[in-house]
Amino acid sequence: MSDNPAILAIFADLDPAADAIEQLRRLGIHDNHMNVISGVPITEAMLGRPNQWTNVPRLALGGAGLGMLTGIFLAFVSPVMYSIQVGRQPFTPVPPSLIVIFEMTMLFMLLATFLGVFLDSFFPNYRPMHYVPEVSDGKIAILVECPQEEGAAIKEALKKMGAESVQEAEAQHL
Amino acid sequence: MIDLNIVGAKGAIAEEAEGKWGMVIDQDLCTGCQACVAACAMENNIAFVGEEDSGYGRSMHWIRIERFWEGEYPNVKMTRYQPMMCQQCGHAPCEPVCPAFATVHSQSQQVNLQVYNRCVGTRYCANNCPYQVRSFNWRDYADERINAAIRTLKNQYNPDVTVRRRGIMEKCTFCIQRIHKAEDKAKSEGREVADGEFTTACAQACPADAIVFGRIDNPKSLVAQLTRQRDGVRHLEELGTLPRVTYFAGGQ
Amino acid sequence: MSDTQPHLTHAQEHEAKLREEHLMLDPLPRGRMNEMVMESMRATTWKFWLVFAILSVIVAWGLFYSWGKMILEGLGIAGVNRPSYWGIFLVNTVFWIGISHAGTFISAILRVFKAEYRRPFTRAAELMTTFGLVQAGFSIFMHMGRVWLSYWLFPYPNQRGLWPNFHSPLSWDLLAITTYLLASTMYLFLPLIPDLAMARDRSTGWHKTLYKILALGFRGTEGEWAHLRNAMNIFAWAIIPVMFSVHTIVSWDFAAATRPGWSSTIFGPYFVVGALHSGMGAVVMVLAVVRGTMKHMKYFIRPEHFEAIGKLMLIISMTWVYFFFNDYIVQWYGGDKWTQQLLHFHEAGPMGWMWFGMLFFNMILPWAVLWNRKWRSTPWLLFVTGLGINVGMWFERYIIIPVSLTINRMPFTWRMYQPGVEIPLGIGTLAFFILLYMAASKLIPLVPVWEVQEGQMAHSFKTYGRETVVTVSELE
Repeated sequence: MSDNPAILAIFADLDPAADAIEQLRRLGIHDNHMNVISGVPITEAMLGRPNQWTNVPRLALGGAGLGMLTGIFLAFVSPVMYSIQVGRQPFTPVPPSLIVIFEMTMLFMLLATFLGVFLDSFFPNYRPMHYVPEVSDGKIAILVECPQEEGAAIKEALKKMGAESVQEAEAQHL
Repeated sequence: MIDLNIVGAKGAIAEEAEGKWGMVIDQDLCTGCQACVAACAMENNIAFVGEEDSGYGRSMHWIRIERFWEGEYPNVKMTRYQPMMCQQCGHAPCEPVCPAFATVHSQSQQVNLQVYNRCVGTRYCANNCPYQVRSFNWRDYADERINAAIRTLKNQYNPDVTVRRRGIMEKCTFCIQRIHKAEDKAKSEGREVADGEFTTACAQACPADAIVFGRIDNPKSLVAQLTRQRDGVRHLEELGTLPRVTYFAGGQ
Repeated sequence: MSDTQPHLTHAQEHEAKLREEHLMLDPLPRGRMNEMVMESMRATTWKFWLVFAILSVIVAWGLFYSWGKMILEGLGIAGVNRPSYWGIFLVNTVFWIGISHAGTFISAILRVFKAEYRRPFTRAAELMTTFGLVQAGFSIFMHMGRVWLSYWLFPYPNQRGLWPNFHSPLSWDLLAITTYLLASTMYLFLPLIPDLAMARDRSTGWHKTLYKILALGFRGTEGEWAHLRNAMNIFAWAIIPVMFSVHTIVSWDFAAATRPGWSSTIFGPYFVVGALHSGMGAVVMVLAVVRGTMKHMKYFIRPEHFEAIGKLMLIISMTWVYFFFNDYIVQWYGGDKWTQQLLHFHEAGPMGWMWFGMLFFNMILPWAVLWNRKWRSTPWLLFVTGLGINVGMWFERYIIIPVSLTINRMPFTWRMYQPGVEIPLGIGTLAFFILLYMAASKLIPLVPVWEVQEGQMAHSFKTYGRETVVTVSELE
């Protein structure tokens, strides 16, 4: 990914950016070599991009399962390991166990979801990355990876589609 | 582990388990002299809290004599005195609510245990006791910097009983140290504990013999016989606590 | 506007009025909004530091000094006794957990219901959740007799052969509050990441280093947004049952006990609604203060937001009254003699003024103020109402805990509760809450600008015949 030079084009509006992406596809750039960086979440459909896959829901489900097992362990197994009798209730009563199981399931599910964001996005990431601060001011940046020869043609095309600025992307510390 | 003969099929203490140690208190005989209160305090190293704290409801007495009156002045009539201590409930409401397992049920002695060194002082047990017989150590009452008189009172401490510090809950234990001593002695002599061989401090001190303590599961013991002779009442038993103390009042 | 363009059509005037009222219809360039939020964070006057200093002193005296004294001397310097073994510490615990529920209500429930007006203040509300739970944590640790041994309540393998008791509602409390605290902090942090990235891009010096570390290298790529929004969705839906379970479990501390007046089956939902009641009152107070004291906040937080929250407050107040009356009438009608004695003590005993005060602040004041649309849109009036509701709800919890504990089934033990060191400790937690909030307002952007822009993108005007209406597109 870092071998091929990268071009960063900044657009101020949604429509020119969507047109530019279509144009790039016509020029032969594959969707995998394009990336859109924006300060506001823009759905992939708006830009005509393929849907982004995310592992977060599966991790959340896995977390929930782990949590449920932990809850069952705390409620039904741990009292047997440390057996102390208190009156008025069976040794492992069901209603309090349900509470413990519920809370542990939710806790682990949400922890897993949070962790999932970190894992999927490779957070924390302090290496130099392709980025321009204008993105957080609402601009839409399109990052294109292309072979050296086609670089000039692509820059030309992007400028024609209305990019505010087109430049060679430099990986820099954020 | 758990003796399923005592612990019923669901795991809870079975209704039929009548318990092992119990008491009978005859309110017709009680004179309200508070000898039991004093004896209990001496036997169990109970600190005294001083006038101010006592007036604010912080007295540490494990047994108290409750006094009521009926009617409006000037036609006021005193009712019978009511000694109230831990009822050692079979279904103790104080037990399931302690988050630290500091109050548990003794399977061998069938009494409610208070484990001082486990208590972290959340006081949920005291809130859940319908008899309000639990005392909390609001301060280091046994420390002579708080309570100057303790300096000499320390000389009469019972070596068989811990001295509690601040932040710990305590309550009547049916003099479990005396129970253990008697049982150890009997075991070393290879016999059972005889009825009347020992008794609790309050029963021992009562000049009217209003308090009788013994094995309620042994039909030949004095306690069991007294219970059979008269109609007694168990306080708040409708709450399902299975108290082990029977009160007689009103003659028969 | 009418001065410079005297020939506006009726439709244009209508549009202009809507634009002034609604933040979502009044977009500014994102860069400008970013600048405004950063400026409101940075602009600090001497008044801020004065209040900060005073609060720090109060926290040092009320929280740290008093608590240290209580740990050394024991709970004797507090007001708890037999039979009121629990007093203001538990009142404050329930109170702070109640306040923390409002944050989740706004950032989760309003998100699930797609209430667009929530956008500018979700973070301000969610901060209240985290800081409120911190105060609740303080209050619950304060009430313990031997707090230095509180680690025994955590389940971990040990050589003492001992384990916490999961039959106990206090252990459920521990699990629930830990879950809620972690969940709401994570839910606070996730939508904060893009704003931290924005702050990183607009800062220098140690600020920039701080934001750079906290922003985790967020850029805004499609993948990052997809993961983030997916996670936020899961959180929004999942944290709602957690929120309900937390205050229900807190209510079971009381409902599971055998005390008259406590053993009421309605406590679960009653407490949850009570939490929302005091929480929304607190949110509106915080928003009024933020809007009044921080620069540029008048653009983001408008009377329309107060109007919307005021409507919610009215509904919640009515729901609270419904649950309160439910609890009251069944006890009054068919309760046993102890419960009826307790009800009489509530109204006619020495703390009867508090009982009536509770009804005034929780029912009469909100109903008198919040029905009127114009009054609902007035920030200072809503601040006063919110304050009143919080006082009323604190009264309600005081009635439920120490006042109800006074009457039990053993009349010989009945005795009044008189607070002692609980008062400085309670004031200390309040001061600490405000202090934490003030510190946060200077360190993190209070308004989620990307969410505001997202909402503004989705709102537009549409003409039906002669009428111009607001439309909201479903962008997600």
